[in-house]
Amino acid sequence: MSDWILEVSGLKKSFDDVVAVDGLDFRIRTGQCFGLLGPNGAGKTTTLAMLEGMELPSAGEVRYQGGPLPSDYQERIGIQFQATALQDHLTPYDNLTLFSKLYDSTIPIEQLVETFRLGEFIRRDARRLSGGQRQRLLLAMALVHNPEIVFLDEPTTGLDPRSRRDLWDVVMRLKSEGRTLILTTHYMEEAEVLCDELVILSHGRTLLEGTPQQLIADAGVADLDTLFLNLTGETLVKTAEVVA
Amino acid sequence: MKGIHASLRRIVAVLHARNLEYLRDRASFGWNLLFPVLIVMALAVVFSGPPRALFSVTLIDGEAPAMLAFPGIETISAAEPRALERLSRQQTDLVLKADAQAVQYWVNGNSAAGAILERLLVYTEDRPLTRGQTDGEAIRYVDWVVPGILGMNMMYSALWGVGYVVVRYRQSGYLRRLKATPLRKYEFLSAQIISRLLVTLSASAIVFTGTHLFLDYKMVGSVGLLFLVAVLGALSMITLGLAIACRTESKEFADGLLNAITFPMLLLSGVWFSLDGSPQWVQWIAQALPLTHVLEAARAVMLDNAGLLEILPHLGVLVAVCMVGMLASTRLFRW
Repeated sequence: MSDWILEVSGLKKSFDDVVAVDGLDFRIRTGQCFGLLGPNGAGKTTTLAMLEGMELPSAGEVRYQGGPLPSDYQERIGIQFQATALQDHLTPYDNLTLFSKLYDSTIPIEQLVETFRLGEFIRRDARRLSGGQRQRLLLAMALVHNPEIVFLDEPTTGLDPRSRRDLWDVVMRLKSEGRTLILTTHYMEEAEVLCDELVILSHGRTLLEGTPQQLIADAGVADLDTLFLNLTGETLVKTAEVVA
Repeated sequence: MKGIHASLRRIVAVLHARNLEYLRDRASFGWNLLFPVLIVMALAVVFSGPPRALFSVTLIDGEAPAMLAFPGIETISAAEPRALERLSRQQTDLVLKADAQAVQYWVNGNSAAGAILERLLVYTEDRPLTRGQTDGEAIRYVDWVVPGILGMNMMYSALWGVGYVVVRYRQSGYLRRLKATPLRKYEFLSAQIISRLLVTLSASAIVFTGTHLFLDYKMVGSVGLLFLVAVLGALSMITLGLAIACRTESKEFADGLLNAITFPMLLLSGVWFSLDGSPQWVQWIAQALPLTHVLEAARAVMLDNAGLLEILPHLGVLVAVCMVGMLASTRLFRW
């Protein structure tokens, strides 16, 4: 089996005249947490959508274990979208039951409830969940079929610090299970804690690629946010605050 | 076999979730049942008085006899089968077909108004007369309007319950979430169709049975045939709703489209009043609307004990609408 679970080459995506992603090349190792960083409009979500098979590239390709994306690719990946609505009037239990039945092989719901600490609100209308509870539910729904790759699109945006830490714990646990995680964020601290390797994007292009520690050391700065500020004149934290 | 089993499992899962969502939305659920009952009750009260003291004559073709110049006689035009159908329901009192040499007329043997008009015709007409007779009890307005209200409720429930809801799912990103699973679009669409069909038929059956208990409206035909009309009628509206929703991304635009479809049906399909006597072009438009065929078939079964063959043309139109709607929605659907 290839060391590289996903390989991206010459990836481009345009929407009419707008170029969202402009020629990306990178590889993601099996079992690592890979980060896509950048401010709003950098092309993170579009890149993620192409990695998920949700959008077709305008040019270039995404390869899975050295070949094209297989027909059962959706069975192998789990996605936590940045903003996902749920059906009205359904409880977390109903949602987990629904998503369990969409896959051939699934993790028992009780196990998910325990892992993601959903017990206290499992029978509550999902519209009445707090931001942190909702994100934990969405993550549980993404993992209901025990996927080998998990995509997390800004999973902690809008969460309070405690909920954010809670979610980090869950992500760490997933990492320790050997899953491949692909994460977008504009919180640099989050990237430093969670990611093994990352690319920093700006205007659809790669600015830098490497491990967080290596990038910081090479640039001789204190943290990733300072590094990004030096590169682009923009600060990721401010962007994140506006979004939050 | 495994693929079919997985597909069925996914359809049932989405169907179950949609049913839960609907049943737990108590306001919508209650309103769907309460609204038609309230309308039927209100109309029963408003129209419970004696019928209007006005003679009605239906003219098939030819030269109008002199008696039609008398005040108090309303004249409408209709083709012969339709005119005789109206006479048998006592929706008209006399049917006339005249040319320069002779006048042919029909009366309903149970109609006092018809007997009076017959006397008037004999007294005023110089041309030779040929008499025909039909029989049939008078129908009350409530007998006539109940199928209209059931059909209207079905139309709103099916079109909004699918069209609007699917657009809401799309706008909120829920469809995109489902796209990221092995769920196929035909599985999703099947679940939506079955869920709404069950809801619409159940609501119609409850309202039909419930109002029948205290209004005792006329139902002389086959319940099975009426059920078939209801199934095809609901399916045609549901698939129409799906076709509207298959690519629409804005709830406001979907709202506009759904209104643009339901409003003509509400006015021109004969929900509240018969279009007999309206201009020909209006009747042509009415024939292009699926609700017209639902109501004509339902009334034929409920009021005239029509059989399958008699309502087959209406069923044919409904099947055609279903097929077009289904084809358009499956081909054009976007998550």
